[in-house]
Amino acid sequence: MNQSLRQGVIDWLDDNFHFGDAESLIGGDDERSFLKNGILTSLGFVRLMLYLEDTYGVSIDRKDVRPDNFDSLGKIVRYVSALPGYRGPRD
Amino acid sequence: MYLPVDASRVAASAMARFKDHCEAQTGLRFADYQQLHDWACREPGRHWELLLHWSELPWCGNATPALTAGDCEHARFFPGVRLNFARALLRPLDAAGESRCAMLAVDEAGRRDECSRALLRAEVERLAGRLRQLGIEPGDRVCAIVRNSRHAVVACLAAAAAGAVWSSIPPDLGEGAMLDRFGQLRPKLLLCHLEFTHHGVRREITERVENVVRSLPSLQRLIVLDEWPAAELAGVPVETLGQSLSAQPWPMSEWPDLPFDHPGFILFSSGTTGAPKCLMHGIGGTLLEHFKELVLHTDLGTADRLLFQTSTGWMMWNWQLSALACGTQIVLFDGSPTFPEPGFLLQLVDREAVSVFGTSATYLHALEQAGVVPCDSVRFEALRAIESTGSILYDSQFDWIRTAIKRVPVHSISGGTDIIGCFVLGNPLMPVYRGESQSVSLGLDVRVMSEAGMSRYGEGELVCAQAFPSRPVGVFGDEGGVRFHEAYFSQNPGVWTHGDNVRLLPRGSARILGRSDGTLKVRGVRIGPAEIYSVVQTIPGVLQAMAVEQQAPREPGGSRLVLLVVLAPGTVLDRALSLRIKRELNTRASPNHVPTVIAQVSGIPTTHSGKTSERAARDVLNGKVVVNRAALRNPQTLDELAQNPDLQIPV
Repeated sequence: MNQSLRQGVIDWLDDNFHFGDAESLIGGDDERSFLKNGILTSLGFVRLMLYLEDTYGVSIDRKDVRPDNFDSLGKIVRYVSALPGYRGPRD
Repeated sequence: MYLPVDASRVAASAMARFKDHCEAQTGLRFADYQQLHDWACREPGRHWELLLHWSELPWCGNATPALTAGDCEHARFFPGVRLNFARALLRPLDAAGESRCAMLAVDEAGRRDECSRALLRAEVERLAGRLRQLGIEPGDRVCAIVRNSRHAVVACLAAAAAGAVWSSIPPDLGEGAMLDRFGQLRPKLLLCHLEFTHHGVRREITERVENVVRSLPSLQRLIVLDEWPAAELAGVPVETLGQSLSAQPWPMSEWPDLPFDHPGFILFSSGTTGAPKCLMHGIGGTLLEHFKELVLHTDLGTADRLLFQTSTGWMMWNWQLSALACGTQIVLFDGSPTFPEPGFLLQLVDREAVSVFGTSATYLHALEQAGVVPCDSVRFEALRAIESTGSILYDSQFDWIRTAIKRVPVHSISGGTDIIGCFVLGNPLMPVYRGESQSVSLGLDVRVMSEAGMSRYGEGELVCAQAFPSRPVGVFGDEGGVRFHEAYFSQNPGVWTHGDNVRLLPRGSARILGRSDGTLKVRGVRIGPAEIYSVVQTIPGVLQAMAVEQQAPREPGGSRLVLLVVLAPGTVLDRALSLRIKRELNTRASPNHVPTVIAQVSGIPTTHSGKTSERAARDVLNGKVVVNRAALRNPQTLDELAQNPDLQIPV
């Protein structure tokens, strides 16, 4: 798991929606559904997409902004770190 | 409820007596203040005429008609009445009232300068005599760069005695701001202090004054209130106040009576939309409105001592001055209220037996943040009311006042320079509710304007639907009243639009919600910044905050919410504090109130009159030119915003 990217998403969740509680909401399960567990809405996916583009140098096809790629921490990390142009750490 | 009505004061209160008087004169019955106020708005001419007679203020002529035909913009009050403002303030009291202290000036070093009413009147008569010798005539502008001191009061009253138009600013104002103001007025006479001390630091401003004098070609004379050895400054003849006071007195009985709407004062609007507006206030309207606010709403009388923390450039200075007309003793304070220690001013309030203390919500918040508990060391035996204005006094601050100062009525008052008075304020007939002003000012037809139209209750823009005496008589130099109309009447023709958002409650109280021009719309949701401030100001370490909307093309709605925070010394905006601020806003306001960006700044852009300028900050954050930096007392804060990498417009 790309720990830097993972932490970046958690920080973003805290900054915008959960204010320090994101990690506990995810509860150690990186595959936990964001939508089903109230961690992020689909509108939140859009805002997260913008953040990821700005921060990691990637370009995200709007058609990819769907639960397959965004509905859990694990899915986001795998999807983003595989994108062309990703300039974050790949640890 | 914060405090119920004080039953022991109600019957004897001036408001109750005036209500009784109105009932006796009209044959009507007013069950409560609300009914009295409703009647005063229904029959404004009758109300104001009764008040003028009941006040026993000195005037001559005919009080009928009290009000000419016309809307709020055009109607005139008491066209047949003449008076002299200074004579009204210095009217004789009984022997005891004449000889006891009328005015006490105290500075931050603790120096006291006390004078009786008789002595004050004698000094005013002598200076008025000198002004007459100098050719000062009714309508001439007399400007002053003065500390909040006894001689500033003497000078102001002498100018008023002569019928001149007085305009004062504090000496800590920058040269550009001084000229932005006085440069418009073509004054004949300037009075000035040449030095001031603030927070233990003495500053000399002779060079600044010299440059101002040089830029005012209309000046014929300079009167210096400090020591000054030379006979001229920048080519203008100079005399000291000591020399001026050696003139032959001009007896009060001979001072000219002038029309009710003769201009007496020029105050300056905050000027965030251009050069400061020079608002001219009439002598009669100012006097009658102040009398009503001080006597009826604040219940001030000859037994009271009023200290309002203000500079000579704020309308509260004029407001406090008018308390002389009620026989109230006034206590002037000059300097930093937190020097040499945070609670200094409140110690002074106790020591000088002040009964009504006025200050700013910002000062009270600073004390709270500093952990000061004044009542630990002093008892405030004389104190019976606290007035707060300048910005919103939040619910939690009412509780702090009760526990840290004293359990007394808190009057959250609001109005401003524009009307040299208050739209909402205290009221001895009404209970105090946390975060609210007790009532609307008697006879001011205050309503809310919203998309649904104008209504008596609810939330929206504060408007006044009918003429009121302290409406400015105009803007100086504004031919045809174009600027005046544009500022207050263009938005809602025939109705005064004040620029504040307010919530008027059916129980008669009011809650000011912030400036209407600072309203935010983020992610499509309209947000009142006051709701953000009310949360943020309770977070330890946060001294001041400002919410600004910044364009952010990629964000939903095309903008983002930026929160600027000033933190206590030693506090840093780390991640923990940032998340704490967001969490509190999320839970105590709404997710829409959570800012996208929080930035720590050294100061919030603030105008010379003490109002924070959301507009200036918004312009900088949105890459626009700030129209009038000189209107700000801390323009460097704008540069700090412009240079902060976190505050650039996101692409």
